Amino acid sequence: MAGSRLERVGTVFSRVRDLMCSGVMKPADKPIWFDVYEAFPPKKEPLYVKTKTRTFVNKQSNVPAIFYAEDKVRAWFYEHYGTGSRSFDLSNSNFVSVCQRFVLKYSELKSHSELEDSALYEMTAKALLSEGITLKQRARHPVESIEPVF
Amino acid sequence: MAFRALTKGLFGLRHSRGVTVKYSCDGHFATAASIQSPQPQTDDVKEKILQLPLKSPDYFRVSELFSLKDLFNARVHLGHKQGCRHRLMEPYLYGCRLDQDIIDLDQTMEHLQLALNFTAHIAYRGGVILFVSRRRQFCHLVETTAKECGEYAHTRYWQGGLLTNANIQYSPGVRLPDLIVFLSTLNNVFQQHVALRDAAKMNIPTVGVVDSNCNPSLVTYPIPGNDDTPVAVELYCRLFKMTINRAKDKRRQMELLHGLFTPTPSSS
Repeated sequence: MAGSRLERVGTVFSRVRDLMCSGVMKPADKPIWFDVYEAFPPKKEPLYVKTKTRTFVNKQSNVPAIFYAEDKVRAWFYEHYGTGSRSFDLSNSNFVSVCQRFVLKYSELKSHSELEDSALYEMTAKALLSEGITLKQRARHPVESIEPVF
Repeated sequence: MAFRALTKGLFGLRHSRGVTVKYSCDGHFATAASIQSPQPQTDDVKEKILQLPLKSPDYFRVSELFSLKDLFNARVHLGHKQGCRHRLMEPYLYGCRLDQDIIDLDQTMEHLQLALNFTAHIAYRGGVILFVSRRRQFCHLVETTAKECGEYAHTRYWQGGLLTNANIQYSPGVRLPDLIVFLSTLNNVFQQHVALRDAAKMNIPTVGVVDSNCNPSLVTYPIPGNDDTPVAVELYCRLFKMTINRAKDKRRQMELLHGLFTPTPSSS
């Protein structure tokens, strides 16, 4: 049976179509998937793409970093309170962690009052304390200089 | 060894059906009038059965089987870390959250719909579908999925000439798969699975789940998505099983329907 084993030249469809057009492949040998591919082609043609062996040292990636406005609040939370008093329960899809509650409370207070960030953070901490969540301040140790021992 | 004998027997069981064909070259349609069958009506009916599903965009209604919420809950959007990213997967990524690639689920929805539709049509036409995955974690799941659809699976070591040297490794005139579905396009050493290149060589279309560290160029119908999480792989297996069973049931239905009308000359 006729076939073309050149996977780097054209697509599967183009090779079979050309084999049939030229008469090398008989109509009776037409593959089952041919009509289906013709009716429903893929979004992008499955052409073989040669991978570049020499890549840019400073590659510019087109994939944007995903950051939200609440990430600023989260960063502040993790810097001051560490990982939080409660661990994450990943089995529950509706789980709200301590950090997320902090963020929600912060955004609530921000919409009501016109205070600046640092004051708002303290207000949020106090509000959460009143709800029963204790936040332990993470002790931030200064960098200790190690004296060389001779 | 027993497995090879089993696949050999199974490949030989399916027989190809003679079908009147139409093919287009440079826009012209030419009906092959050379095939003279004693029952021209049966062939007409068979042709109608085969051509009818191609007219509607979603004949088997595969888009009903999944939703974006299902994909999200199954963690299909989670890719690998930024360092593992394949250059060709960049168009399919939504973004990068703290160094982890997030796959664009809108694109995944479209690709999944195309892929499932293609699989359904192949199953409807009685094509041989081969499930391939070299992930040991899901090897049993893939094999049971294939068994429940009535199709085939190969989740063990892929010998070099399985597709390209099939006439010698099995027997001359063995029937090769008409579609290969990859639940993971990588093998155990994070290189592209040999079957992908071999399928392209043997002119067999492929459907494959491509993660952010895979090369999607040779896959005919890629499905950008997570191939590592058990929930995601179970979702894919369930979707493929449902589409194939749906397509086969539809075929049986159509054959029964038209089988009743074949004796009368005025067929609907």
